[in-house]
Amino acid sequence: MSVLVQQLINGFFIGSVYGLFAIGYTLVFGVLDILNLAHAAVFTLGGLTALWLVATGGLSIWVAFPLAVLFSGALGLLLDRIAFAPLRRRAASNLSGLISSIAMAIIFESAALGIFGARTVRFPQGLLVNRVWHFESVTVTSLQVEIVLSALVLMLALTACLRYTRTGKAIRAVAESERTARLLGINVDGVIAVTFFVSSALGGAAGILYGLYFDALAPDMGRSIELKGLAVIILGGMGSIPGAILGGIAFGLSEVLTVALTGTSNLRDAVAFSVLLVILILRPTGLLGRGRVREA
Amino acid sequence: MRMESPNSLKGIAAALALILATTGICSAAHAARKEARIGFAFSMTGGASAYGDTQKKGAQLAVDEINSRAGQDGIEIVADFDDDASQPQQGINVFNRFIAADKVVMIIGPTLSNTAQAADRIAQQSGVPVLAVSNTAKGITDIGDYIFRDSLTEMAVIPNTIRVAKEKLGIRKVAVLYGNDDAFTKGGYDAFKKALGDSNIEVLSEQTFAKGDRDFSPQLTQIRSVNPDALVVSALVEEASGIVSQARQLGIPPSVHIIGGNGFNSPSLMKNAGKAAEGVIVGASWNAASSSPLNRKFVEAYTARYGSPPDQFAAQAYAAVYIAREALGRAGSTDNQKALRDALAQTGGLDTVLGKFSFTEGRDADHTPVVQVVKEGKFVIFGE
Amino acid sequence: MAFLSQFFAVYGSLVNFIGINALLALSLYVTLSAGQLSLGNAAFAGIGAYTAGILTMRFHMPYAISVAAGAGLAAVIALLIGLPVLRIRGIFLAMATLAFGEVVRIAAVNLDITGGAQGLVGIPNKTTTCTIYGVLAATAYFLAVLRGSKVGWSLAAIREDETAAMALGINTARYKTLAFVLGAFIAGIAGAIYAHLNFIITPGEFGFSAAVQLLIYNIVGGMQSVYGPMLGAFILTALPEVLRGVSLSAGPLRLGINGVILLLVILYLPNGLISFLKGPNRVSRI
Repeated sequence: MSVLVQQLINGFFIGSVYGLFAIGYTLVFGVLDILNLAHAAVFTLGGLTALWLVATGGLSIWVAFPLAVLFSGALGLLLDRIAFAPLRRRAASNLSGLISSIAMAIIFESAALGIFGARTVRFPQGLLVNRVWHFESVTVTSLQVEIVLSALVLMLALTACLRYTRTGKAIRAVAESERTARLLGINVDGVIAVTFFVSSALGGAAGILYGLYFDALAPDMGRSIELKGLAVIILGGMGSIPGAILGGIAFGLSEVLTVALTGTSNLRDAVAFSVLLVILILRPTGLLGRGRVREA
Repeated sequence: MRMESPNSLKGIAAALALILATTGICSAAHAARKEARIGFAFSMTGGASAYGDTQKKGAQLAVDEINSRAGQDGIEIVADFDDDASQPQQGINVFNRFIAADKVVMIIGPTLSNTAQAADRIAQQSGVPVLAVSNTAKGITDIGDYIFRDSLTEMAVIPNTIRVAKEKLGIRKVAVLYGNDDAFTKGGYDAFKKALGDSNIEVLSEQTFAKGDRDFSPQLTQIRSVNPDALVVSALVEEASGIVSQARQLGIPPSVHIIGGNGFNSPSLMKNAGKAAEGVIVGASWNAASSSPLNRKFVEAYTARYGSPPDQFAAQAYAAVYIAREALGRAGSTDNQKALRDALAQTGGLDTVLGKFSFTEGRDADHTPVVQVVKEGKFVIFGE
Repeated sequence: MAFLSQFFAVYGSLVNFIGINALLALSLYVTLSAGQLSLGNAAFAGIGAYTAGILTMRFHMPYAISVAAGAGLAAVIALLIGLPVLRIRGIFLAMATLAFGEVVRIAAVNLDITGGAQGLVGIPNKTTTCTIYGVLAATAYFLAVLRGSKVGWSLAAIREDETAAMALGINTARYKTLAFVLGAFIAGIAGAIYAHLNFIITPGEFGFSAAVQLLIYNIVGGMQSVYGPMLGAFILTALPEVLRGVSLSAGPLRLGINGVILLLVILYLPNGLISFLKGPNRVSRI
């Protein structure tokens, strides 16, 4: 019994990590209908930059965190300006956007490799106090709780922003129809830039939290989470902010339950992707439908 | 087809470049100091770049040491480093270039066993010796009589590790965790499984992970629930440090020893897992703590030059250059590949950072493996 | 003559890889020509490669039969998968085929008969440069003929506007399935002849990044004609060797230059590199 409880906690936690990664991913898709495959590279650079600020710059993590998040946001602006804005101007297809985001992902990854080296590195020990609680034989750590809470808070905050703030409303208008938004006098390019900034800042924040929890940062750390992130935003319905978190948790739970029920882990990823395939066949637009950014 | 004209143009340009390169090599060979051109194929990008990086550093250090003394004994090594991008296709391209364009006398590498399975056959067909420094998969040296390796396979390291661990700790039942989508970690698992069977140790649970995974708590939770005496892990250090720290965090007590293989033999284990690494038992090919003067000098020079201590990948690459250099001396020529192959095959009792080194009949590494344990953040010999 | 033999000694394998990658690019080109974005073609190549490799190694089948069986099995599986999956559109189809590809890769990692992570080792080397380019030429010719036929027009109509195509009385489901299965068949052939080239195949060679690479060949080369994807495969496969030739072998830098070139093509050559060779053309709608 305690094994099952522990596994559910594990699944809930790793699912929140997937959700954190996916939330920025899904935002760009919801507004622009393009998959930004450079998101994983921004996630990686966010984590590595925070580490550099702490280890080389000698900053406290509480200063380094927001700085690295801002830097990630700036990378998002760069991404938009270089890879997406020129394509928008000539009304190119979504496929071109997909490829130019892959090109940017390659450039970012080579920068990470060149600047930070290939080794797996970690934040200095004892940077954050991580309490470990044992209840009977169930273990929870304070960092886990903090990560789950961040995921939930970000989900609520982002949803509220989209629903109630002026910028949020403008983002939803652009998501609905770029042309109409332009007619209404909305600065469409500005709104898209803001979207990229927020999306990438969230991606960077996810990278830092990931690095803090797993004590492992490397130039290719985005790769393994990239595919799962894609699966998650589909499960949640692409473009849905709450869907990203819920989809993440559903995906995380499907992984651990496979391990818990079969007792082995060989089938873990196969089951997770089979579930994704079946869900797509049964509900071709994901569990929560799409276009939720628009309705928020 | 339209594609033909750029194709043949490129061909001509490449051929011209080749002629220039070949004349360069020929004139070099006639110079007074004898130059031996060696191709190094390591993974500088892609999935194995972390290992290719330290291999290159280790090899470069050895080449520079040898060349700084070349005035005394006459042989200078011209090192061609190239990137196989962790992919068999690119590895093959690099090998072809080394063999046909650069006319190397031998090749050191490639980083991954999968790449070696494809690329080494080209060298074998062309009669160019290959010295592998990190390939541990079964069958690599069976490709042919020009293929050598100085990396002890998991089959050579792990049975000893399990035997020592059983003797000293009295373990009877274990759980196994391994990476099943990587040739290195899967090979390690096969070796562990056989060694555990031979030692009559019961396996309570087998769990797997995939390359790049960072969360191992589902597997470790299953393992915790079966109460093993020890946890046997086949992983590379990126995953190993995470497994070790998450196992302790989940409440698997330090009395349950964690046993790892060659992949664990890196200072990154202690750096990334911190206190959780204490007591981890690592069976390996290279004894980092060895007090032999050769090894001490290597660790000091490497640390001074690169700012971080070497790992096993660096040590094996460093040793390979010295093994090659010694064989070149006996071969009596710096461009005769057949003579070099024969000289390599006769390597015996050579002092290296790996210990007294010889090749077996089958051209595999033959030296004594070590069983280490992490104590106060350092590897020490287990049981001492 | 000496030039040629030296050229082949250095670049012979590269020439082979270009041919295989061009064939793989064409396999996706067929699927894309019906407007279907599939990320499953690398997996179909994997099915072809493993089937052919196992038949040759374990059952000592002749080369031609192994290759045919590999391609056939890829096509049959594509038919089974395609029936439910092709109802899905756009990016969701891409994701469904991606999930299928991952399941195939994980199966290859976990099965015994495929050799697991260490790969299927020791497949006899039976593929020659002649075979590769013969198959490539035949495929390209077939696809060029197909493009001008009624089938080709129907596929193009589906790509431009599926609803309108249906209104014109085109059986869209049947043509979409045809394109998907034909693509898988070509990918299966490519995989099967690739298996007999390197002595070894490993699951990782047929994963997500391989699938994306095929898409990149098509976009960079251009999809107006069968020459585009082949040109894309040629340029991008040769690029690392060209950069190596001008002594740009420092790993990360070379990787970065790869990315920059890809970006420049996407931004400045909307119809792909083929538009360089063919002059101005109508803008692609894919």
